[in-house]
Amino acid sequence: MKEFGDLRFTQDPGKSLMLNYMTPHGKWKIHSTYSDNQRMTTLSRGIEPLWISEIDAARLELVDNDWVEIHNDNGVVVTRAAVSARIPPGICIQYHAPERTYSVPKSPLRNGKRAGGHNSLTRIRMKPNLMVGGYGQFTFHFNYWGPTGVNRDTHILVRKLPNLEW
Amino acid sequence: MDVRSQVAMVFHLDKCIGCHTCSVACKNIWTDRKGAEYMWWNNVETKPGTGFPTAWEDQEKYDGGWELENGKLRLKSASKTQTIFNIFHHPHMPTMDDYYEPWTYDYQELFNAPPGEDQPVARPISMVTGELINIQSGPNWDDDLGGSPIYARNDPNLESLTPEARRQLFAVEELVMFYFPRICNHCLNPSCVASCPSGALYKRGEDGIVLVDQNRCRGWRACVPACPYKKVYYNWNVGKSEKCILCYPRLETGQAPACFHSCVGRIRYLGVVLYDASRIEETAKLPADQLVEGQRRLILDPNDPEVIAAARNNGIHDSVIESAQKSPVYQFVNVWKIALPPHIEYRTMPMLFYVPPLAPVMSERQGTTLTNISEDLFHDIDDARIPMKFMASLFGAGHEDYVRYALRKQKAVRWYRRALTVGDVTAEMVDRMLREADCSREEAEAIYRLTSLCTFEQRFVIPPMHREEAIEMMEDPMEHKQETGFGFLHGPRRTM
Repeated sequence: MKEFGDLRFTQDPGKSLMLNYMTPHGKWKIHSTYSDNQRMTTLSRGIEPLWISEIDAARLELVDNDWVEIHNDNGVVVTRAAVSARIPPGICIQYHAPERTYSVPKSPLRNGKRAGGHNSLTRIRMKPNLMVGGYGQFTFHFNYWGPTGVNRDTHILVRKLPNLEW
Repeated sequence: MDVRSQVAMVFHLDKCIGCHTCSVACKNIWTDRKGAEYMWWNNVETKPGTGFPTAWEDQEKYDGGWELENGKLRLKSASKTQTIFNIFHHPHMPTMDDYYEPWTYDYQELFNAPPGEDQPVARPISMVTGELINIQSGPNWDDDLGGSPIYARNDPNLESLTPEARRQLFAVEELVMFYFPRICNHCLNPSCVASCPSGALYKRGEDGIVLVDQNRCRGWRACVPACPYKKVYYNWNVGKSEKCILCYPRLETGQAPACFHSCVGRIRYLGVVLYDASRIEETAKLPADQLVEGQRRLILDPNDPEVIAAARNNGIHDSVIESAQKSPVYQFVNVWKIALPPHIEYRTMPMLFYVPPLAPVMSERQGTTLTNISEDLFHDIDDARIPMKFMASLFGAGHEDYVRYALRKQKAVRWYRRALTVGDVTAEMVDRMLREADCSREEAEAIYRLTSLCTFEQRFVIPPMHREEAIEMMEDPMEHKQETGFGFLHGPRRTM
């Protein structure tokens, strides 16, 4: 596999596909909290799924609602697939930011440890203007002033989860 | 003329953002109970999609609504003999797989897990059995998919489409989706009421709200397959059926139903219409292409002196007639004719109407954009990304003209406003468009105001309920002291 972006040290476990990965603002994230309570997860899929194009899903022999394992140099996510014609091939998304407290299985690629959350795959790359500092809102502070969703654009390998373990 | 009053509704689909605030408001108030977990009296679907319960529009599968047989209306799911044979098992009853198995999470695990290498996690458990479950479906499973091999492609409304139109509906950059919020339609010819072997379902005399009498219901569930919209649900805990009550305790105290009140996109309108009950049957028997127009004729002009006199004669209070004259529903449905009933071919005469949504045009055809390629100012209505046939299947019993009329008028109103606010359209152009869309400047202004600038009071014109003149007998007031809406055991003044 060619080294690329956040895929420099990642081993291809086979039967995977390299995709662009983004974590946009979720439909249910009307406020930054209360989005993954029982009521709201019932109105979606009980989990924050990985949205993937039907063309890529066919390549991976994935059917809607199958479990997938997504990884790169930064970490691992295990969730289910939402297969949609609205996603162009080559891209996948997981809406930020599900709690890691519910419906997170263990990851074979992480030697059976619990998989991560959507940000386990992303990394913070500070831009100079995020580090200007010295003036109120321009001072970096985690979750306050820093890279936004678009900065979380990275690449991952996705595969069908070989075995589901809790 | 047998004039009755009905609280009717309009949902403006162009304004729906699919936030499900309505669903949550309803769920929190009415169905957050054991046995009712799976019920969504109000739900919002993504179209194209299969909806909830899955593929509810497929009446081959569910057998809902009425059909015409030798000039007679008959229930598809029941008849006197059929009811006896099916009373313990109805072959067209939706099952838990058609709805979904409600779940929650084993949150206690987060507190009670023994110390270990890894963080604990709350796994999904069934709210029916309490066991761990593998979540396979939900009440909004095809949310936003807009096109997925399993769900959207099985939308029953796609049947009439050409293969090319289908392909386009599921191709990135060409597809489109819209939201379709649904509650009970409180029909004029309700098949749920007709199907009940115990006579537990009834249509309230004063406002037409369809209810299940919880004292009379014996849980036979004939109403569940009979309703073609699948808006009666069986409560497995108490063994009785339940449905949307249009928040009548709220209406009786002058408040809009919770789903209307909480609507973020302000898509919902509610008001009284007067209708002629003596013509319901002949209207429900009309050929499919005349049903939309027939239902409009059933709804009477509340300003017509003859109608007013007949209404008074039937005991309808002056305050209700006044309310009907201010009804936004009458404007949308009968005056402007831009709100249409969903699937009127089921012949239940739904009293919830939808303003069909305008869709973006196809981005590219024959290598050029569609802007200004035609003399026909309305070419984009038929070239919209939502195929006209699809809309007609939903809102016109398969007949495109009703939908086309509504969409053309909506477009003319937009261009009318564009001429006023942006100023890049000439007055001649606007006048031509309005003329071709069968709309005057005054009407366009009125549509614009009620669509975009409407206040709470304009959207919800709620009549005083006059329970003292209610038709049906009510609960014992002694038993229901201090509860909203207690009524009278004896002596209804009017009769059916």
